[in-house]
Amino acid sequence: MMDILQDIKYVIFYPSFFVMIIFPGLLVGGLFILFVIWFERKIAARVQMRVGPYYVSRFGGIAQLLADAIRVALQEIIIPAGVNPTLYVIAPIFPLLFAFLPLAFLPIGVIPEQGSVFSAYYRSFFDPSVGMGVIAALPTEYSLIAVLAVEAAYPIFIILQAWATNNRFALVGAVREAYLSVAYDVLILMSVIAIAVEYHTLDVAEVVQSGIPGIVANPLAAFVFFVGLIMATSRFPFEIVEAESELVTGPATEYSGLLFLFSMGGSYFGTYVYALYFAAVFLGGWYPLSGFPGAVILFLKAAIIVLFSVFLRSVYGRYRIDQALRNSWRLLLPVALASIVLGIVGGWLWIR
Amino acid sequence: MSAQPEAKPPQVPQQQAQQAQQKQESSLSRKLNEMRTRLNVPVNVKVESERRATIEVDKSNLPAVAMALRSIGFDHVKTVTAIDYPETETFEVLYHVSSYTDFELAKTIVTLRTKVSYKDPTLPSLYPVWESAWTGERETYEMFGVRFEGHPDLRRLFLDEDFEGVYPMRKSYKVKTEGLFVDRPA
Amino acid sequence: MTAQPNVFTMDTTQIDIIPIEGELNVGPQHPGSGHMRIYVKLNGDIMEKAELDVGYVHRSVEKLAEVRNYMHLIPLVERPAILDSIHMNLGYILALEKIMGVDVPDRAQYLRSLAAEINRIASHLYGTGILAVFIGHSTGFMWGFGDREVWVEVLQALTGARVTNSYIVPGGVRRDLTPAIKEMIEKAIRYQRKRIPEWKRIFLNNPNIRARLENVGVMSKEQAIAWGAVGPNLRGSGVYYDVRKFEPYAAYDRLDFEIPVYKEGDAYARVHVRFDEIEESIKIIEQIIKEIPQGNILSDRFFKQIPPTRLKKHYETHGKIVFPGYYASFRPPKGEAISRVEAARGELVFYLNSDGSPKPYRLRMITPSYRTIYVFEQLAKGARYADLVAIYGSLDYFPPEADR
Repeated sequence: MMDILQDIKYVIFYPSFFVMIIFPGLLVGGLFILFVIWFERKIAARVQMRVGPYYVSRFGGIAQLLADAIRVALQEIIIPAGVNPTLYVIAPIFPLLFAFLPLAFLPIGVIPEQGSVFSAYYRSFFDPSVGMGVIAALPTEYSLIAVLAVEAAYPIFIILQAWATNNRFALVGAVREAYLSVAYDVLILMSVIAIAVEYHTLDVAEVVQSGIPGIVANPLAAFVFFVGLIMATSRFPFEIVEAESELVTGPATEYSGLLFLFSMGGSYFGTYVYALYFAAVFLGGWYPLSGFPGAVILFLKAAIIVLFSVFLRSVYGRYRIDQALRNSWRLLLPVALASIVLGIVGGWLWIR
Repeated sequence: MSAQPEAKPPQVPQQQAQQAQQKQESSLSRKLNEMRTRLNVPVNVKVESERRATIEVDKSNLPAVAMALRSIGFDHVKTVTAIDYPETETFEVLYHVSSYTDFELAKTIVTLRTKVSYKDPTLPSLYPVWESAWTGERETYEMFGVRFEGHPDLRRLFLDEDFEGVYPMRKSYKVKTEGLFVDRPA
Repeated sequence: MTAQPNVFTMDTTQIDIIPIEGELNVGPQHPGSGHMRIYVKLNGDIMEKAELDVGYVHRSVEKLAEVRNYMHLIPLVERPAILDSIHMNLGYILALEKIMGVDVPDRAQYLRSLAAEINRIASHLYGTGILAVFIGHSTGFMWGFGDREVWVEVLQALTGARVTNSYIVPGGVRRDLTPAIKEMIEKAIRYQRKRIPEWKRIFLNNPNIRARLENVGVMSKEQAIAWGAVGPNLRGSGVYYDVRKFEPYAAYDRLDFEIPVYKEGDAYARVHVRFDEIEESIKIIEQIIKEIPQGNILSDRFFKQIPPTRLKKHYETHGKIVFPGYYASFRPPKGEAISRVEAARGELVFYLNSDGSPKPYRLRMITPSYRTIYVFEQLAKGARYADLVAIYGSLDYFPPEADR
């Protein structure tokens, strides 16, 4: 009997399974996204002199999103006549997948040799550059870049999704996403290269374990990365791809039912994963705790970033595509270059 | 019929005030008068008060009078109206013009009227003179059937395709009205 | 569908990539189009032509006016722009009173101005809210409607209805101002004065909104005059013109107010004109409440015809007018009249032609949005696609008002 329980415990807490499915993966991530959308509506209502979700459960309508998700998931999926049905049905799944896959490379904590529930996996998930085990689904020495590499495939699938629907508004949205993706990808990569140069490593776990948060070592890179985060995941004021009053829902115009849920979920999941990354690299991650409590600290820091970027909806309108592009190339690119220079200088003088 | 008389010899202050008012009143009529004498086409200028005046022309002289009005300072058209007189089988088309730039003329509205008959409902368009006549002329075309020659885009504006060739604002198009329902308790 | 560039005939040394070329139907079922369809001919991100397909809300007010009595026309005429219905009502009654030759007592003139200014504030807040939601700023939208609620409640207390009030009748107004309503108005003024700096902070001085509205839909002074723009659109391009100054009606010749004029001519200037007009309207309302004279609210000619028992029951206790039998179907003398008022969106012109029967021979109603159709089409040429809704919202074009 105890053997079976031990076996189940071993499987559940195996980091690859734990990180991707349970925490901060599908389960906890999904529930958190529902909470985030509720929070977005509630805080916007508070700013706008109204109440927001109210009736669905006892405390301020907090189960409203569960009700909405169930309703949308059970709606009829309408497939228009002039599309390729296979592509139409498959296409929304990919952006959601690729917003979520980068989590596989991101370490969310370190494993001490004794004393943590993860210590059983110390040897198999050992990271030589840190000297401890890491809780990551696929531990690698290049996690700083690997996460972004997987994330960079996201815009391609948005374009595929828009093309599969045979709708002009979706096409306009896809073209905007294509233009925008070049801009923000460059910014994100440059700020991360600045961090890599400064900390002399490409491993997120090492950046965190050095004890110096990225925002202290290189504030310019943190700022550029944060703006890139908002651009990448269509948070206001850069909600250009799905600009509701110009293109009805952007690339997801024709979708209904479960496919619509996937399309909308993709951008929120993207914010969540980017926020975990930001919290790990720039906000000090799980240091100085280790094991499960460290992961919880990382999750809380990411939660604050997500809730802040969602709050921006109540304050900003949306930019035009050419304004977003112009500002990112003219204003933010020099700042990113400056952050690389700052990284080189900091890495030489300060961080060894 | 011509406009106000010229200056009279002033007598007592009351008459003087009255005459000053007449002089002020005739600012609009003065301008219209001098425009009328400059043109050598037959126009019928009637100044009804210090704020309203009517000019009645024949449809062939319409563009000339319009150009003259514009040169005085009337720079936009407020509306193009058509009235249907089935007894005489004519449409009367009115252009209400006024001015934004000239502060004296901005207080006035001048009506430019002309008549067209049922058999030949065409008029020269005043779009080359005043661009602001664009919407009004289109609407008059679709509601009454009056064609404006020279309008760049004469099509239906408000009505849908069923109304092509049906000109609903004519008196011959009857609107079905319903009676009054009175609910009597049993 | 869309036209793709032909790769076999493209000159590879000079590639002219046009990602999208074709027509977009920003149709009636679109969050950014209102009650009309806009045919947009798109070339990349630049609109070559935006043609308005109006008429979805055409209710044929002018044709129906020929089969209804003059009094029955009041609810019909005020419905094209329901949020601005006092002005529609007022314009029609002014034209009618010119034909009938009725004089209106002073107190009724002041009350007409009061209702008109309250309606102007409510309509400007609505217009700003719609512009905000078109640019994506949902807070501006909710605040516009939330602040408007205060003024619409005042109108309900004064006239009996929130919108489409039918407040103004030939000879005067229908209801009187009571001290309780004066209190409500003063509270509303205090509330609105507190809110305007908040608006400036979150909307007008928001750098995002400024980037979206500055240099968008620029209309020079000559263009504004030639195209026939009206209202805040005209005043945002540097033309000093307001019907309340040039042809004063109601009590405006006895009130002291200014006309905001901005010369830049872009969408940002037009929004500023509307906000300044809200402040000016508040000043006018304060003057009216202080200076309103005592007296009757209906002209003596009709007031004498109300039987004394009903007068005592309604007018002396509640301040409401009951209509004498004259109004049921009266025949004004033969004649025609043109009247104009400054509605919230611009200048509203009424032309009424009467032939002595109880129904008008011809009623012509030119609303400000009607005259903005041409301006809209001209401004949208050569603008970016995302500016379509910014231009639409800043011109405060209201499709039911244009279609009548």
